[in-house]
Amino acid sequence: MNRVPHSLIDELAADLAPVRPLRRARGIALVATATLVAVVLVEVIDGFWRGIATGQASPLFFIANGMFAMLGTAAALAAIRMASPQVGNSHEGTRWALAMAALLPVAALVVLGLQGDLGQVAHDPYGFGCLIAGIEFGGLTFVALIVWLRRGAPVSPPLAGTLTGIAAGSLGTFAHGLACPVDTLAHLGSWHVLPVVLGGVIGRITVPPLVRW
Amino acid sequence: MIADEASLARLMAASQKGDAAAYRVLLAEIRLWLERYFRRRVAPAQLDDLVQEVLLAVHAKRASWDPGRAFLPWLAAIARYRWVDHLRRVYRKAEDELGDHDAIEDSDEEAVMARMSLERLFVHLSAGQCEAIELVKIEGLSIAEASARTGQSESLVKVNIHRGLKKLSALVEKAD
Repeated sequence: MNRVPHSLIDELAADLAPVRPLRRARGIALVATATLVAVVLVEVIDGFWRGIATGQASPLFFIANGMFAMLGTAAALAAIRMASPQVGNSHEGTRWALAMAALLPVAALVVLGLQGDLGQVAHDPYGFGCLIAGIEFGGLTFVALIVWLRRGAPVSPPLAGTLTGIAAGSLGTFAHGLACPVDTLAHLGSWHVLPVVLGGVIGRITVPPLVRW
Repeated sequence: MIADEASLARLMAASQKGDAAAYRVLLAEIRLWLERYFRRRVAPAQLDDLVQEVLLAVHAKRASWDPGRAFLPWLAAIARYRWVDHLRRVYRKAEDELGDHDAIEDSDEEAVMARMSLERLFVHLSAGQCEAIELVKIEGLSIAEASARTGQSESLVKVNIHRGLKKLSALVEKAD
């Protein structure tokens, strides 16, 4: 069988120009830079919580923000990998990281529910501000990942979008978390988790049309 | 004889650097590979169109192959992506016959090829989804004909096609 015209192959060969192959390392550098800029902006705009350095922060502060950083890293790496598709690529790691991070809101729900104190979440005066800040500081990561995916060839745009949103939300809430002195389970397990959830939803809806090819 | 993984990877690496002669050879090899890859899962009359679509996609997205990784799994992912897209858009004409020459030829890469095959994707669909997609999207039956053939209601055939294609599109990189 030899029915595809040679002219097509000739045309494509004539149109050939050197390209710079997508290397994961450059994608990682791009996203790391975007996240680093977000962290610097947090320091410039809000200022890091000085209690982190003086030992005032609770263990939960480090556990929660560490989980957000890990989840964001796992999701960002998976999204970067999706720009260079391969049969055999697996994105299971992010699911486990997501399950790990879900422990935080589940723990908040169980503990506050048993204590009959779920209203604490709704009456948190800083909650909404943290939600917005988490999303805002994830914006740069969001854009960086979209730029990378557009240069590549993601073969599952909805998943790529969801991972992009989760990565941006997680790294954004991590960056903002460095400036937030409220380190209770009710606050971290709800308002700091919401940017991740909303990021995933926003990414799932908005990114596929931008990266589809 | 289609070139092996190492040869294709070398040709692609040279093509990324702008070597038009290597690129011409590579595209010719890819064309042969794709014709074999799609043979059972695309109506013969649509095979050429799909192969051309994938060649254009390979050209447009050639930078997305990382020379540090294998070439054929990259090509297979792009081929699968375009194939699912193709199933969404195209109905096969009733008079077209599917070929029965789909068997993968014996080679050292047979096991690798099997993991990347289109057949492997159908394993993840329910029997109803598989049947509905094969009859309507590949063999070109109408919804009513597929309904009569399978015993599924027309609504169920439509739902099975919709859900099955959605599932296939999520499985493009799946190897097992």
